[in-house]
Amino acid sequence: MTALTEPAPAASLPDAVTAAAPARRRRMTASATVAAAVVLLIVLTALVGPLLAGDPVAGDTAHRLLPAGTPGHLLGTDGQGRDVLARLVDGTRLSLLAGLVPVAFAALVGTGLGVTAGLSGKWGQRLIMRTLDVFYAFPAVLLAVAIAAALGSGLSNAIIALAVILVPPVARVAETETRRLVDLDYMEAARASGATRSAIALRQVLPNVAPPVIVYCTALIGLSIVYAAGLSFLGLGISPPTPEWGLMVSEHTQYIYSAPFLAAIPALAILVASVAFNVLGDGLRDLLDVRGEARA
Amino acid sequence: MPGYLGRRLLMTIPILIGVSIVIFITIKIIPGDPVASMLGPTGSPEARAALHARLGLDNPLPVQYFTWLGHTLTGDFGTSITRHDAVAPIVLDALLNTLVLTVAAGALAIVLGLLVGALTGLRRTGIAARLGNAFALFSISVPQYSIGLLLIIYLASNAGLFPVSGMHNPNGDGGFADLVDHLILPAVTAALVPAGIIARMFRSSVLDVMSMDFVEALTARGLSRPRVMRHAFHNTVPSLLTVAGLQVGYLLGGVVFVEAVFAWPGIGLLVYQSITQRDLPVIQAGVLVSAFAFVLINLVVDALHGLVDPRIRT
Repeated sequence: MTALTEPAPAASLPDAVTAAAPARRRRMTASATVAAAVVLLIVLTALVGPLLAGDPVAGDTAHRLLPAGTPGHLLGTDGQGRDVLARLVDGTRLSLLAGLVPVAFAALVGTGLGVTAGLSGKWGQRLIMRTLDVFYAFPAVLLAVAIAAALGSGLSNAIIALAVILVPPVARVAETETRRLVDLDYMEAARASGATRSAIALRQVLPNVAPPVIVYCTALIGLSIVYAAGLSFLGLGISPPTPEWGLMVSEHTQYIYSAPFLAAIPALAILVASVAFNVLGDGLRDLLDVRGEARA
Repeated sequence: MPGYLGRRLLMTIPILIGVSIVIFITIKIIPGDPVASMLGPTGSPEARAALHARLGLDNPLPVQYFTWLGHTLTGDFGTSITRHDAVAPIVLDALLNTLVLTVAAGALAIVLGLLVGALTGLRRTGIAARLGNAFALFSISVPQYSIGLLLIIYLASNAGLFPVSGMHNPNGDGGFADLVDHLILPAVTAALVPAGIIARMFRSSVLDVMSMDFVEALTARGLSRPRVMRHAFHNTVPSLLTVAGLQVGYLLGGVVFVEAVFAWPGIGLLVYQSITQRDLPVIQAGVLVSAFAFVLINLVVDALHGLVDPRIRT
């Protein structure tokens, strides 16, 4: 049923779609622009923040659990008298890295595998997707916990564990989308005009597979940040005293009755980062959505 | 359809074999000697060697794998190293507890996700749509462990509305009301992320379908709005099924954090505790059984997918 599908044969080539509507080119929504700014701020904090903030590891037990707003300690101090702001800023680097790297890896590998599977014959598709299904057959977080535990705690092992669990779902999204495209008239036209398989994959399939994958992956970044922090929360990620948001939540949880605000600070940082990436994902969806042109 | 189901069922066999190999290898690369942790620091080298031989840890890896697989297939998951009890009942109990939480959270997530997704997909403006979008956004972004902790502090500990942790009141009758009472906070916490994801995907799906030509054509032909919506909804079902199935599957393993925070005696908590205690038979069985349940859920999702979308049966 062609109603499920989108570009009409005439507008099938990616260039034709973009060229068709130069006058009403889509723009980022205001919220997506704000989110992009927040993401930029987070990235900048990760890059230069640690140079500006104080020592995140040096603590003074005489000044433990100081409330937020204390002069010299804008966000107060933690249970070991360490400056919470300094730890939060310094932790941005690892928290962001642990969220971004697995998704970037999954986006590249997952899309490659998904598109290849979608365009391959029956057996190629089965081979790739069934092999992925083996990993896909594990409940994700449980597998990540098991892998992280098997490899031992540490940032790189947490990243590997997350990358392993993120590839199969991305591949599935890409493969579903590719298989949906394969039956379309314009693909038939491309094949009939003698385009090679790789040309079809790169010029006809990838531009159409990219939007749903990007939307999915941007949502995954938020999730990945939360999962990575979760592994640290369980003691399977970064080891103390290195600051990282999930580890901070776990450390601050001990004082949750005497200083509930303390555990909320790193949790809020995770939330803000996660929301920012998700809103940005929405903005990108509107910006990249080829189908959206028909709607406008 | 039976052919499609049969093929799909056959395909799960190599997947399950693959799963068992991955689990076996993962367990083998876990650092540390299980025998050393069983005997403690006082164990003599001779005692260690004897236990190694008794557990079959001296055999080549393929032999160990097939021995383990043979036992597993007959329902013998071995004996827990720390609990000194048969693993199978421990793991099955935990799996049932997790399923209770997963079903409750999954149902909550699907209902919430559909409501919010439909609302925000059909009405793009207005307060309700904005609130719905905000809910979808925040619910997928919150760290479950933090929300769980906040709920415990404010609703359980301070307000006393719900129990702080566990699945049953140890002094209670263990009845259904008691279970529901304990279930609400963990289920809400676990449901947030999948609800947000389902809402977002459903919204996107509704937006796509509503922009299709056939919706305009049906409207132009004079069909009432509800009838047009019915046709439109049919087109969202395949993607909805995939996403909802995926999310319920994710919940099965994703509740690790929720189980850890609420001390819910499920498979996630069991595996997590067993990892810290190096209780390998329990880890193996726990992950294997969860994976098996996950494969079953995916099978059901695929069957339903084939039912609503005949194109994929080929």
